[in-house]
Amino acid sequence: MSLTNLSDRIRKHFEKGKPLHCFSSLFDAIDTFLLTPRTVTTSGSHIRDAVDLKRIMITVMIALVPALLFGLWNTGYQHYLILGQASTFWKCFAYGFLKWLPLVIVTYVSGLAVEVSFAQWRGKQVEEGFFVTGFLIPMIMPPDIPLWIVAVATIFATFFAKEVFGGTGYNFLNPALVARAFVFFAYPSVISGNSVWVSGTTDAMTGATPLSQLMNGGEPVSSYLDMFIGTIPGCIGETSKIAILLGAIVLLYTQVASWRIMLSVIAGGFITGSLFHLTGLCPVNGWQQLLMGGFLFGAVFMATDPVTATHTKTGKYIYGLLIGILAIVIRVINKGYPEGMMLAILLMNIFAPLIDYCVLQIMIKKRKKNIRQHQHQS
Amino acid sequence: MNFNIRKGLDLKLDGIAEEVIEMLAVPEYCHIRPSDFRWLKPRLLVAEGDTVDIGTPLFADKADERIRIVSPAKGQIKEIVRGEKRIIECITIAVNRNAGLTMPVVFEDSEEVESIRSLLLRYGLWPCLRQRPFSVIPSPDAKPKAIFISCFDTAPLAPHIPYLMQGKEEHFIAGLQILQKAAGKGTPIHLCMKEGESLQPESTTQNIHIHHFAGPHPSGNVGPQIHRISPMDKGESVWYVHPLDVARIGRFFQNHILGFDTIFALTGPIAHKPHYYSCIYGTDLTEVFRQQTATIDELEVSTEKDAVDNETAQTKTHPAQSAKCRIISGNILSGKQLQHKPSLQFYDHQLTLIPEGGEREILGWLLPGVKKWSFSHTFTAWLRKHKAFYFNTSQHGDHRNFVMTDIYEKVFPYNNIPPLELLKACMTKDIDKMEELGIYEVDDEDFALCEVICPSKMPCQEIIMEGLRKVRE
Repeated sequence: MSLTNLSDRIRKHFEKGKPLHCFSSLFDAIDTFLLTPRTVTTSGSHIRDAVDLKRIMITVMIALVPALLFGLWNTGYQHYLILGQASTFWKCFAYGFLKWLPLVIVTYVSGLAVEVSFAQWRGKQVEEGFFVTGFLIPMIMPPDIPLWIVAVATIFATFFAKEVFGGTGYNFLNPALVARAFVFFAYPSVISGNSVWVSGTTDAMTGATPLSQLMNGGEPVSSYLDMFIGTIPGCIGETSKIAILLGAIVLLYTQVASWRIMLSVIAGGFITGSLFHLTGLCPVNGWQQLLMGGFLFGAVFMATDPVTATHTKTGKYIYGLLIGILAIVIRVINKGYPEGMMLAILLMNIFAPLIDYCVLQIMIKKRKKNIRQHQHQS
Repeated sequence: MNFNIRKGLDLKLDGIAEEVIEMLAVPEYCHIRPSDFRWLKPRLLVAEGDTVDIGTPLFADKADERIRIVSPAKGQIKEIVRGEKRIIECITIAVNRNAGLTMPVVFEDSEEVESIRSLLLRYGLWPCLRQRPFSVIPSPDAKPKAIFISCFDTAPLAPHIPYLMQGKEEHFIAGLQILQKAAGKGTPIHLCMKEGESLQPESTTQNIHIHHFAGPHPSGNVGPQIHRISPMDKGESVWYVHPLDVARIGRFFQNHILGFDTIFALTGPIAHKPHYYSCIYGTDLTEVFRQQTATIDELEVSTEKDAVDNETAQTKTHPAQSAKCRIISGNILSGKQLQHKPSLQFYDHQLTLIPEGGEREILGWLLPGVKKWSFSHTFTAWLRKHKAFYFNTSQHGDHRNFVMTDIYEKVFPYNNIPPLELLKACMTKDIDKMEELGIYEVDDEDFALCEVICPSKMPCQEIIMEGLRKVRE
């Protein structure tokens, strides 16, 4: 019996009025996960693009894979490095994988529980947005974070940052960043602002990121080459700039993420970093700022979230530039929060509708002016 | 003037009509549907059993009874099919096959606006005109600021309009002059042509402007053309007419011949020998489909045979072919599906046959998708984007909220009209915002490509149509 027939036979039990109806959203999610939906066009255009949100989300996840794989290895590598133990590639990777696996399971289970319940309550299908959110959250959390905090943060983010506004597409804050911000402010002891975590070490051995070292006036331990390659302590996803750039190539090539945002975030960061350097406020120059912390990860994977970013073309440039500028300003001015990227993106998420509003007003005026000009000519 | 429209998309499909015209015999039946005319509420003027001639009014618009839809053929009213709430779905005329397709008419020539308009109204030629905004039949008292005639169609597999117009040049010129008089003295006429094409020699009439457009679909739609040449503000209106209808009007006034003969292109990847047909408006197309279906059935059998030993055959014929085929009056982007009593819609000159989709695929969202067409580059198929794709009616996913917020602009050829914001304004029924954003300049067909490429499967055309309906009220 083919899978399609099996699905058709089981589907009957989830219809309205049947005992399993309360799980229909879950069934639907699994069903459309395994088999593409049977829906054909009924109104408007008779043909449709093969792309759907599942495909978009899986593309983002594929783009995240290089950063993830590197991060898994690096988590183990940093662990054995700080303990001074010898390690092999696979040992490092296995260590990182075993640290990551529970995190990702907890994230998906807790997040999807919220998603599925809301979908069922609304009588709608489960939306795909959480695939990426759930993938991102473990990549921006410290590897040793207690699992219950991850669960609480994920539930908080999914519930308050997304579902209460109507689900994927209606949220105005990036849920993954809200999860991180939640941990950052609610449990500062596990995710402190100016130091970062090397898995499996005690508090005393918590390593400082190059970023926090610099901000506190010291010289960075890691070289800029290390920062570029990623063999430095940090979150799973953010350390390797090469892996992030690989992801960026995938996102830009598939046209899933906006190059306008990526480019302007980087430009904003570079310009502001250079200005601070030139005025002597910060010893780090522009391009070095880009290699530090989660700047690049944020620019490529977080700022480009199409829902929470600005929707207009011009707005994207403004939005991106401001994120870049703010991230560096927060970093340099407030030494307590060297990782300004998260706050910059969340802040600009809030301002994105305002930017769009201003851009729209300009468009409306331009259009009216154009009409008047034509009327004048004729 | 020359315009280059960069935004848009040309879909590549097999099955473009070969430039051969087959004359269809006088049909047994003609089906006239009030739904061909947007938002027209019909008041029936005939009853079952009545005899009608070419030009006999069948129904009038309740909003303005001067607007009448007339019979395209001589015959007898066989049946009036009513649907839910007694809505008139279709009027079937049993055609007198001995009568001709056209009819001589006697009237006095006049240069007066009023008399030209009343002739157009009386003989059912007024509905050939449509107005923007709303794409409805204009009011008989309307004063348009311009008339637009798009002499090229960029929709997928669209008929080649200069080919349709062959031999009708003289009538076309006469039609232009009549339209100008009907619209009011000095109303500019804008003829929009494809770059490098010219429909006919330079016209002698004053105030006719010829524009050339380059670029992908929808550069052939009148909406983007009006937007560039004579953008509309609230309260203004523009007329637009299909070149074949201009020639029809021209022939009526020049030779005093009334006729609703038309030409359409049979197209589509599963159409057998796609080519042009000449017939009258409303012609029952059952016979045409019978030939086509026989061929599709043959294809099906041969595909099944070939599939066993020949893999290339599988790539050429889509699996959905074996299931069903969808018959569309118009193009695949904004046409209407034909079911019972198939006949072409009043304004259409194209018939498209595409395979029905709906087959399920295991983990379809994960596979490389070598044969899946996508505007995004998320499938490997875009590497062979210059080749024609086999499209079917599968929606490829379910309806979601807006997520990819910047893709619509890539295929939306209006400047300073944000498609996403306009769609949202229509969804929230915010009339002020719709007007601000330029709802009067657009039509649902201009959003067809947005709808096609939308990963959230938003029914964009329906949303815009509802928005337009709302602002019209």
